[in-house]
Amino acid sequence: MRSKLKTLAVALPALMAALSTAAAADPGITDKTIKIGMFAPLSGPNAAYGFDVANAAKMYYDKINKDGGINGRRIEYILEDDRCDANDLVAAVKKLVEQDQVFLLNGGSCSAATVAAKDFVVRNKIPLIMLNASGDGALYPPTDYIFGAFSISQYAVGGAMINFAEKTFGVKRLAYVNHDDAYGAWNLTGAKVDAAADKVDLAVESVSPTITDVTAPFLRLRASNPDALLIVTYARPAALLIKKAREMGFDKPIILSVTGTANLKQLAENVGGKGALKNLYIQDVLADAPGGPKIKWVYDMYKAAYPELAKEPDHPQTYMPYGVPSAEAIVRALKAAGPEPTREKFLAAMKQEDFDTHVMAGPVKFGPEERAANKSTVFMKYDGSSLQMLPGVYTTRWTYKN
Amino acid sequence: MTLSLFILFLEQGVASGLVMGSVYALLALAIVIIFKTSEAPNFAQGDMMMGAAYVALYLLVFRKAPPIVAIPLTIVVAFVVAALFRGLVLAKVAKSSGSPVNLVIATLGFSYVLRGLVRGAGVGDTPRTFPPLASTDSIMIDQASVTILDLVIFGAAILTMAGFFWMFAYTKLGRAMRAVGMNPKAAQLVGVNIGRIHMLVWGLSGVISAIAALLISPKILMTADMGSIVTLGFAAAIIGGFNSLPGAVVGGFVIGVSENLVGLFISSRAIVVAPFVAIMLVLIVRPQGLFGGRTSIKKV
Amino acid sequence: MRSLALLVALAALVALPFATTGYVVYLANLLLTFTVICLGMHLVLGEAGQFSLAQAAFYGIGIYTSGLSGAAFGWPFPCSVLAAGLVSAVVGLLIGGLALRMRDIYLALATFAFGEAMQWVLMDWTSVTGGPNGLHIAPARLFGLQLLTDKQAYPAVLVIAILMLGLAILLSRSRLGRAFRAVRESEVAAMAMGVPVKSTKLIAFALSAFFAGVGGGMFALYSTYIHPDSLGFQTTILVLTMVVVGGLGSIAGAVGGAIVFGLISELLRQTPSYQEVIYGLILIVFMMFAPKGLFAFLGESFGRLRRA
Repeated sequence: MRSKLKTLAVALPALMAALSTAAAADPGITDKTIKIGMFAPLSGPNAAYGFDVANAAKMYYDKINKDGGINGRRIEYILEDDRCDANDLVAAVKKLVEQDQVFLLNGGSCSAATVAAKDFVVRNKIPLIMLNASGDGALYPPTDYIFGAFSISQYAVGGAMINFAEKTFGVKRLAYVNHDDAYGAWNLTGAKVDAAADKVDLAVESVSPTITDVTAPFLRLRASNPDALLIVTYARPAALLIKKAREMGFDKPIILSVTGTANLKQLAENVGGKGALKNLYIQDVLADAPGGPKIKWVYDMYKAAYPELAKEPDHPQTYMPYGVPSAEAIVRALKAAGPEPTREKFLAAMKQEDFDTHVMAGPVKFGPEERAANKSTVFMKYDGSSLQMLPGVYTTRWTYKN
Repeated sequence: MTLSLFILFLEQGVASGLVMGSVYALLALAIVIIFKTSEAPNFAQGDMMMGAAYVALYLLVFRKAPPIVAIPLTIVVAFVVAALFRGLVLAKVAKSSGSPVNLVIATLGFSYVLRGLVRGAGVGDTPRTFPPLASTDSIMIDQASVTILDLVIFGAAILTMAGFFWMFAYTKLGRAMRAVGMNPKAAQLVGVNIGRIHMLVWGLSGVISAIAALLISPKILMTADMGSIVTLGFAAAIIGGFNSLPGAVVGGFVIGVSENLVGLFISSRAIVVAPFVAIMLVLIVRPQGLFGGRTSIKKV
Repeated sequence: MRSLALLVALAALVALPFATTGYVVYLANLLLTFTVICLGMHLVLGEAGQFSLAQAAFYGIGIYTSGLSGAAFGWPFPCSVLAAGLVSAVVGLLIGGLALRMRDIYLALATFAFGEAMQWVLMDWTSVTGGPNGLHIAPARLFGLQLLTDKQAYPAVLVIAILMLGLAILLSRSRLGRAFRAVRESEVAAMAMGVPVKSTKLIAFALSAFFAGVGGGMFALYSTYIHPDSLGFQTTILVLTMVVVGGLGSIAGAVGGAIVFGLISELLRQTPSYQEVIYGLILIVFMMFAPKGLFAFLGESFGRLRRA
């Protein structure tokens, strides 16, 4: 027994050393094809954040293929379900990289789970271009391999909302509700920086995404006597807060972040009618109202690509258009990487990107130290039936410091 | 904190807590009547409520049925589905093993199926609601603001509970149910059809869940995951003693009010953890809950 | 015959990293981790008959202990895995001391409440755990060697899993194991036979926490990140399902259940649309038609072998 253990002790480190893999030449690319590994939540409670977003990216790749591909190469994609669960997401990423040998990754709709893949892709030098995850946790500090926030960086949202409230209403005291998760934490970090810069007092309540009774957080915020209420939560808690505000006779402006807007028509029903939406402003990242003329092309493309799906209730899902910008960025960088693209050439091209997506309000803009694609956002007024675009583009004064 | 703010918080916290608490009490009641007769907690209780809510949504919103039709129909569907699950599935599970753990896993399977079906139908992601059964205009009770709907929820929950207490205490059926819970063998000897009673209990538990769903859905909004609110029903049941019906009701109010008071006086972050801390505190002080009698010693 | 089968299984496990990709090895690591957590659930529920619905919390304590101690002290991984198990066991002992005054449903729900509260602590104790940002886990170390890939970590994970399996078998055959089963069958009878019921239950509780904690330590060997979202009731339920559907009360059931259900979960990832319905139906059908579990028959023949 003892000698066996001794053999084991000697053999174990040797075995481990032998198993370390040597880096291979860039896989996933042939003369005719480029293989892209995609992952998104396709099942379970978070499918609303990723299913149609992945479909949007897919339809964009299909269109590129139809138009002749990239420098003569067709795009092949493999889509995996990540369930927004860290273990499942890592399994999906490892399958795509090690088994399917993809050239690059395009995936991730949930921030925290996407961060779980960070070390693996950096160690293996695989480009990871996120789908719609804000994913700030994997973007700062910047790495050479991970690009994201194609929807928008949460730091930027938090700051921009303060900025908008200050410029539009001249507020001095703000009430602010976020979630007690990663998303909420990043948002609050940005909000605090801009609140300090604008000399605005911030009363903060952080609630669980599963909260069912918002009486307590709402009363605490109202007690701070705010000039406006900022809501940075998911759709259900957001609707509960807006409804509670009406019930309690709160008539100050309410500014709702895009995470809470999911389905605006449904929002009006959920809060008990238009009465609750008299003073509601929503933050948005799209270039136009959903289905509006500037981004109609995305919805048309969706209907053409998925005629059956488009007939089902709730489709396309609200965040569908967010899937297009990352695909656009990938296609551009692959084109720029020339006839013999390598991962390094592709990544170098990504770092220089600066273009208008024709989907989002702000451009995709990376840089030597910048990995968050989008940091600008617009605001709209919503009264329960019509959306009115407000002038101005807002951002944060938060910057990453080493 | 000033005194007037303290009083406002206290009044509003108690008022809102009693309303939510009345629904937690209903859920706790639904859990306890099943536990008392089959000795297994029903992990599908929350999703039975969720399922009933979506049946109501389908009837009221998608089919535009009037409430006078939709409400009874929802309740009937909940009764039938729950009774059939007991009669067709759980009866077989109980016969082939008899272990409560196996019953628990089977109810867990049921909850996955219900959630999967609602999500598969494509309506489970966006938060939804059907028109509330009463106006959501507010009235003031001293400094506390509550809606008419809140009062209706509270009243309907109390009436439902009173009805069930009456049934358990005074009807032949209620006595048969209690007999099965206390001593199934003896009940069988005196001619009670145990299988039928089990189905009835499950059916009634489904009915209570459906009533809870009809009351609370416009207030908390529906998603396929709304069943997780049953955790608070479990907390209420355990605080009340898990095999005590009045205990379950008191537990519901305790949870509802403490959730709000913790949120108001400690922190919003602590709201979700408050019920769990309450469970632990109560059980450490009284291992059978506040109203529970001693349970018999059983094998797992 | 049986020993031959075991040899084949062992050979397959040893050959695995040479024959497959890192993805398969990652799955193997994850399955071995869950095997160890299931063994813990087997000890407390299957052997001693005590409900513990806090396995995910002990697993989480293990992961955070291992991750934080690795970062703070730079311990070689055998120390951090052991520390993960021990810290979990100590917490298990404390909770057990309070919880074991209760029985059945009360015990189940008290441990459930503890599990949920623990997840909240991991999420909100930001200064230590990183809170909602999750915790970055530094690579495991041994003698200046870093475990950077799944294949590098696999031998260590496999050896720990085998050691823990051996420990579980030894425990179940020991005097303590007999005491566990005596308590499970009847506390009154156990007391009459001179089994100290209270401390036996406490030991079972602490041991199951130790196994889950070691499982957490194993997770930290091949993972680089943990988020409290992964440590909720869902994970406990998954472990409970594995143990019960595998076959409650047998080690083969716990191990087999962990592997079969781990694989089912991964395979269902390929069929997104109705995976919840399929998963639920699997549970229901098993409870209706195979109540003793998938691996009960293995356990029975194992028992015969032991007596022979």
